[in-house]
Amino acid sequence: MGHPGNIYELRPVSILRTLPQIKDHRLFQLKLEDGTTWENFGHQPGQFLEVSVFGKGEAPISISSPSTRPDTLELCVRRAGKVTNALFEMDRGSVFNIRGPYGRGFPVDKMKGHKLLLIAGGLGLAPLRSLLLHALDRRGDFDDIILMYGTNNPDNVLFKYELLSFYDRDDIKYLYSVDRDDEGIWKQYVGVVTGLFEKATLSPADTYAVLCGPPIMYRFVLQKLLQLGFSKDHIYMSLERMMKCGVGKCGHCAIGDKYCCMDGPVFPYTEIEGIKEAI
Amino acid sequence: MKTLAKKDLKGVVKAWAEKYHVLAPSRMAKGDCIFDTFQEESFSLDYKKPPLFPKAVFLPHTEVVFEVKDNKLHEVISARNTILFGIRSCDMMGLLQSTSFMTRDRDDIFYSTKKERATIIVMACPGPQNETCFCTTTFSGPVAKKGFDLMFFDMGNDFIIETGSHRGKELLSSGPFTDMDNKLAGEKIKTFKEKAIRDIPVVDEVYEAMRRLKDGAADQKVWEHFGRKCIVCGGCAFVCPTCTCFNVYDQESAPGNGVRARAWDACLYGGFTREASGHNPRPNQASRLKRRHEHKLLYYNESDIQDSLCGCVGCGRCSDYCPVHIGTLEVAREIVKE
Repeated sequence: MGHPGNIYELRPVSILRTLPQIKDHRLFQLKLEDGTTWENFGHQPGQFLEVSVFGKGEAPISISSPSTRPDTLELCVRRAGKVTNALFEMDRGSVFNIRGPYGRGFPVDKMKGHKLLLIAGGLGLAPLRSLLLHALDRRGDFDDIILMYGTNNPDNVLFKYELLSFYDRDDIKYLYSVDRDDEGIWKQYVGVVTGLFEKATLSPADTYAVLCGPPIMYRFVLQKLLQLGFSKDHIYMSLERMMKCGVGKCGHCAIGDKYCCMDGPVFPYTEIEGIKEAI
Repeated sequence: MKTLAKKDLKGVVKAWAEKYHVLAPSRMAKGDCIFDTFQEESFSLDYKKPPLFPKAVFLPHTEVVFEVKDNKLHEVISARNTILFGIRSCDMMGLLQSTSFMTRDRDDIFYSTKKERATIIVMACPGPQNETCFCTTTFSGPVAKKGFDLMFFDMGNDFIIETGSHRGKELLSSGPFTDMDNKLAGEKIKTFKEKAIRDIPVVDEVYEAMRRLKDGAADQKVWEHFGRKCIVCGGCAFVCPTCTCFNVYDQESAPGNGVRARAWDACLYGGFTREASGHNPRPNQASRLKRRHEHKLLYYNESDIQDSLCGCVGCGRCSDYCPVHIGTLEVAREIVKE
């Protein structure tokens, strides 16, 4: 097709189905238009794609599904800008383009044999879900898995039925929180996500903590993890930046001497603790 | 080494222009001297420091990357054989740094195809071109160390020409060039260089500012001070030889038809880091100015700096053109003043 070295080369995909999540959030299941499965796509948990809709532009979207499920690739998208608005206008069978997978994901090989503590806030669950499902599909590779997930209210819980399905499993611990519960319908913890730490028994020495959420969440969760005795090289976080090109050239996602799209979006705490604007 | 009588230069460049697209210092009607397509009438050697390093040769202000017809994208990769005649040493270093950045990890072919077809001729500086030159501070002048195909030394009535590549040697294979004993040429160049180094002031504040930034000892007030002054024109980035940031945008002329293009962008703009959610990791002008200057003086990439000092090449253009005096020199001095 194009020049083999063209870093902006796109691949057409179509929508298999869309699954409404909550207001302005939708899960898109995609298939590659060239007929191949996602098996050879090579995506790692925590990586992202550039979604391209001509006329609107490109937007970085994290991949929500693991390569252990190669029949489809899932993107959990919030309707926020021009590209995502266009996606929400599409239906089953609609075709658009992608580039990727891009960036550095979670170090799943390093995490093997360890406990996993996943801490997500709001849409931050989208990238963490790829790691969570990877770990559940390769359950024998990991020790305990603990998921802490916080949203602002009970209406905004993403992947609701998937999270509920964990009730039937005894190989994952889950702790869910909402910041506010005005109608009194929430059966679990009400308060900020850091409150969930009081309810969990953790063993920092053999656990990898992984977090993703709104900007405000990081500082508080990191403080908590350090207090509990997590070493900084056992804390990984996925950061959000305006990753325009995805290949480390356009400069928009720079964080200190790093580029979120190439060096991240997943960073160990040790790599960014010295960069003031990182968190 | 070769020499060329000054009176023969225009004829030589004219002969090159028959085979290449030659960009050379050109005198404009209003008096400015810029790099433009060679024309006999406007070609000038009295050009000091041109307002812009011709980085648009490699990274055009606006560049179409895809033409789109009925929602099908067709890439547009274009380049032509170009000679860039007479860039200064600081700009040579800027080009080396930019090329390293644009081609490492993932090669940006839109950039590198243009770079591969460009022949670079440096005009060594006999001294400062104006009061903001500080290339000796940043180890990027007055004489280029590498990257050039040819380098000219202005000796008054003639040029001594140093060859930097096979491509440069080819250019000298025909024409009114004469041979000069290498030892004699080397001595003359040495004298030329020593005089230039003597005449270009070293700005110690740049080293001290870099040290303070590294130690986290630069006062936040510096950024707030400049943040209040900055008029967000982005000019400092556009005149900077090492700034390569770009935005990508679509221009839809009819549904499913048009172009996807990229255009120069600047980290000084509020929208540069703003995400679709509205969250902006650099929420004010102080943080954006801090970013620009830390990128040059603190967070430069070791492999990109090409044996110079940092991500600034000491050309002084940001100081020359900023309407409110926020150039690297002013910032370095303010950091040190505190």
